[in-house]
Amino acid sequence: MPTKNSPTGLSQKGLSSGSVGLLGAVVIGVSCIAPAYTLTAALGPTVAEVGVQLPAIFLVGFIPMLLVALGYRELNNSMPDAGTSFTWATRAFGPWVGWMGGWGLIAATVIVLSNLAAVAVDFFYLMLAQLTGNESLADLTLNLPLNIVTTLIFVALACWVSYRGMETTKAVQYVLVGFQLIVLGWFAIAAFVHVANGTAFDATAISPDWFNPFAVESFSAFAAGVSLSIFVYWGWDVTLTMNEETKDPERTPGRAATLTVLVIVVIYVTVALATLSFAGVGDGEFGAGNVDNQGSIFAVLAGPVMGPFAILMSLTVLSSSAASLQSTFVSPARTLLSMGHYRALPASYGKISPTYKSPSYATIAAAVAASGFYVVTRVVSENALYDTITALGMMICFYYGITAMACVWYFRTVAFSSTRSFLLKFLAPLLGGVILLVMFVKTATDSMDPEYGSGSSIAGVGLVFILGTGVILLGAVLMLIMYRVNPAFFSGETLRKGSAPAHTEL
Amino acid sequence: MKRVDYIVGYTADDRGRDAVSLAVALARRQGATLNLVMVMPEHSPFNAVYPPERGFESILSAQLQEWLAEGLGLIPDDVTARAHVISADSQAGGLIDAAADSGASLIVIGASSRGLRKRFNVGSVAGTLLHASPVPVALAPQGYRRLDPITRLTCAVGTRAGADAVIAVAVDSAARRGLPLRLVSLVALDPATGTDGGADAAAVEAAHEHANTRLAEAAASLAAGGQVSVEVVEGATVEEAIGALAWDEGEILLVGSSRLAQHSRLFLGATANKILRALTVPMVVVPRSYTFFEDQPSHQERSTATRSEAGEGTDAQPTEVK
Repeated sequence: MPTKNSPTGLSQKGLSSGSVGLLGAVVIGVSCIAPAYTLTAALGPTVAEVGVQLPAIFLVGFIPMLLVALGYRELNNSMPDAGTSFTWATRAFGPWVGWMGGWGLIAATVIVLSNLAAVAVDFFYLMLAQLTGNESLADLTLNLPLNIVTTLIFVALACWVSYRGMETTKAVQYVLVGFQLIVLGWFAIAAFVHVANGTAFDATAISPDWFNPFAVESFSAFAAGVSLSIFVYWGWDVTLTMNEETKDPERTPGRAATLTVLVIVVIYVTVALATLSFAGVGDGEFGAGNVDNQGSIFAVLAGPVMGPFAILMSLTVLSSSAASLQSTFVSPARTLLSMGHYRALPASYGKISPTYKSPSYATIAAAVAASGFYVVTRVVSENALYDTITALGMMICFYYGITAMACVWYFRTVAFSSTRSFLLKFLAPLLGGVILLVMFVKTATDSMDPEYGSGSSIAGVGLVFILGTGVILLGAVLMLIMYRVNPAFFSGETLRKGSAPAHTEL
Repeated sequence: MKRVDYIVGYTADDRGRDAVSLAVALARRQGATLNLVMVMPEHSPFNAVYPPERGFESILSAQLQEWLAEGLGLIPDDVTARAHVISADSQAGGLIDAAADSGASLIVIGASSRGLRKRFNVGSVAGTLLHASPVPVALAPQGYRRLDPITRLTCAVGTRAGADAVIAVAVDSAARRGLPLRLVSLVALDPATGTDGGADAAAVEAAHEHANTRLAEAAASLAAGGQVSVEVVEGATVEEAIGALAWDEGEILLVGSSRLAQHSRLFLGATANKILRALTVPMVVVPRSYTFFEDQPSHQERSTATRSEAGEGTDAQPTEVK
């Protein structure tokens, strides 16, 4: 006889398990990276740092991402938790480091949300201009109040969609990804055709030197370039963490990760070469070295390169940023929810919407934070997109570095129990974590220079430094306030520090 | 005694509470078992959430269990109730799956959503269910808190052929529960359609005649002691006609979906919305193709026969309404 107090499962269908094949996994990986958005946002700032060694940095930048992602996967398998970096760093290093790790993750995703929305807005107005043939419409994005209002509307829409639990479907994702790859390929080929026909803006001959990372002029430039290229691969590691969703959990994730990175590297290097050959690194009208072009390179170059078909570039950047905007909302919301759940934040952050079963308070909080960050950056910076991306690279290095170190420390008891453990739970994350934390410290120090990044500064201190460290300090202050208000989390009552049990050898 | 199962689409808010109240009121007449169902949203891997995490489902799952325990707490001890979590990609889809799996004969939900607007609205879940549910759907009006058994059944009688099914269902239900039955013919005298006074009069006449024929049939089919009354109400619109009727506190309105879906599927939602806005009592919408006769295996009975769950010996159970 069924009783009233024993809730039972009526029929638990197997969720989405086993529904993703190799192609599907690659599509998911590419869509998380969103190459059209990533390139338009990061290509310019990276050229500013490393010039023609752009292809080299894109190749080198993958290494720390790979090393850290291997550790991330071990943690994700051993301690599946909505808090990810927050939970893992707390378990490894205790509440204080854990809190800051969670904060770094939230800050990175909030910053990328504001950047995604801003890029989407740029291309929204550009597309309006291309559709109507009225070029002045594209300049509307330069109108500060209008730009801010439109961006906040985009953020609000994405927040609403995410709050309602609406999702991008398989078919839409395939179309978005396929469209991105085709348009990026089109852009590259069109650029090379211009170079061949002598109609390029500043035809520059490709040299083997472009692939030599040691040709980068200084360690500062190298560090900045690597921290930016961490951002360009940010998203790739989703393929490694896929498991039950795949048709063959043994093989699909590994193969998908390899295939995804091949696709992405080919696209990145091809587009990088095409851009450099077409536009050069000078600071002329279309030059990739012109700081005005670096915030959103395709917004400037798609027209001269693709002619009337530039509208396809606008469409693909707009659609992929919009899709990313919606799906990226989920992550900070869940981390905030998890922190609320463990009382590391006020309990209201742990609220779940009864109707939509999504994090309610946390999703709105993420939207408010992203909007606030954007307004501040846009108002104080001469080139907000550029500076946000540089700050974002720093923030990713920060939380990924902490996460990698958490992996090393958490698994210390099993690190030397097998070759596999040694490589995946110790060596790879250790190297990756050290590289990223070094990049973080170096970039942070360098960014104090008022000339750093786009050259925006406040009181003689570089804006990127203020954004990056300001956000981290804000986190530290909030952490102390939280400690005063509710010390339960900080005394280890909700989430205990620990290490991997020595016998769980996976 | 054969078991009657109702699915209650529960959400941890006022709307869920409306649904639970109505389910209790309906169940008390029949000794039905309530299945409180919460739907766990299935997340598509193609939504590409990044950075990846795995733990949200467990937090959500714990929350759902907590909510379900609260929901069960709303149900008086004399009503048997169970709680379930179902994974589905939509709330409506989950409830339909649950109904099919358990062989339930009714889905009960709270109809109105309370968003920022103050007006009543058929929620999107109700809208989807009204189009897709293979079994009748009971909609609790906003703020429904009555737990006592229902006292009277009103059936909206249309003039179209499809309306016969709902009358048959109403007659059967009233007989089985010993409830008084009222047959109501709604005549919307919409000036926008250009009908002149003569046509209106003819329409009213036809409605009266139709209702009276039905009355005779219904009275004949009802067991001894059954009470049947008939009313024809007019109004400029459907909601005005509904508003002109007097309602008992413990009454429910039974409508056939074909009665409403005159033009297109969306019209169903719009009219249901209008009726609900004017209506103060619960409404049960019976699918057009829904049959309840034991010698006519219905769609729902087939799904009962093929289900594999628990083997509770209910395979031969005839389809029940409410």
